[in-house]
Amino acid sequence: MTCVIQLVVAVFATISFAVIFSVPRRDLILCGISGGLTWLVYFVLTANGMGNVFASLIATFILTIMARVLAVTRKNPATVYLLTGIFPLVPGAGIYYTAYYLIQNDRDMFGRTGLNTFEVAAAIVFGIIFGFSIPQRLFNYFGSKKDSLGS
Amino acid sequence: MAYTREILTLSVEIGDAMLRSGAEIYRVEDTVIHILQAYEIEEFDVYVLSNGIFASANEGQEDACSVIRHVPLAPVHLGKVSALNQLARDICSHDCSLVDAWVRLEECKNIPEYPRLLQDFCCALGSATFCYIFGGHVIDALFAFVIGFFEKELLFFFARNKWSSVLKNLFASVFVTLSSILVLFTGLPLQQDKIVIGSIMILVPGIALTTSIRDVYNGDYLSGTIHLIDALLTAACIAAGVCISLFICQELMGGGFLL
Repeated sequence: MTCVIQLVVAVFATISFAVIFSVPRRDLILCGISGGLTWLVYFVLTANGMGNVFASLIATFILTIMARVLAVTRKNPATVYLLTGIFPLVPGAGIYYTAYYLIQNDRDMFGRTGLNTFEVAAAIVFGIIFGFSIPQRLFNYFGSKKDSLGS
Repeated sequence: MAYTREILTLSVEIGDAMLRSGAEIYRVEDTVIHILQAYEIEEFDVYVLSNGIFASANEGQEDACSVIRHVPLAPVHLGKVSALNQLARDICSHDCSLVDAWVRLEECKNIPEYPRLLQDFCCALGSATFCYIFGGHVIDALFAFVIGFFEKELLFFFARNKWSSVLKNLFASVFVTLSSILVLFTGLPLQQDKIVIGSIMILVPGIALTTSIRDVYNGDYLSGTIHLIDALLTAACIAAGVCISLFICQELMGGGFLL
């Protein structure tokens, strides 16, 4: 039940941000679903005891694959789905807590959260890189015809 | 012959518009090259940076021409990227004549953003929902909703007055943190940190980070670095904004009310 609520809320969160970045109306729902699923993956993994760095890596990897599949089927740049779907994973909380511990003069926690924020960012980097290192022709099966302007 | 010049100008104009709206370097380069090839221009060079395009065609021949464009960093508009991508496809498959292409390019450039109130509402909803999924309760989300709404209005105000993005992020972050502390005075059992986290999500440099990774992945290190610096600077500004406002409150009120 928690998972369903999380999924639905994350879908709405992603759609809201997709509107702000002017995603075309026909793609809003798909952006929302890919962002929601990404968050669900992250949520389930962290709820089962996985560290947030590795969970971000896996969730980003899955998002990148979803974005590329959607890009081929909808004949749109993958960027549209990737940029909006990544938002739930970006370490906004990490940035806040790093600043918070700095002000509290808690050097130990400051270092730890700061480092963790960078690790999460790096995990997102590698998730995207791994996702894009899958050859394009595997994705072209999803499209109706071969298309040179894909990805 | 004016033909080469027209094709080159058209392709670079399309590339320019895509780059402005937030497409990654590789896509812009690829689009320009595809259009040039589709019109059988064989000799050309295209170099794209995150704020400029350099292109030349048929150098050494009679109809040699080149185009240089300065493209300032502008707000992301994914609808334009998508529409321009479709236009480039149609040009390449010759479904769209040159005359039509110019008309459609103008149409693509003039795709409006969503109405202002809808954007305000979506920023509010986004803040509230992110606040909720990051561990806030419904009541925290309600306050994040209100803060998010005014935050977007504030961002519109900054955009109208052409503030630099450093100041924009700094002040928006100060605004969010201060107002989250102010709502604590209602006496309700609120989690101040969750409210802030939800509301700063709109400022967080997710797009800059992602674009930078994709540029570096495609070998465009210089453009990747530009976006990476943008992302790091934005994150630093958000953190600085949080620090400044927490510091002010600590000095004024002793900080006992914070967690």
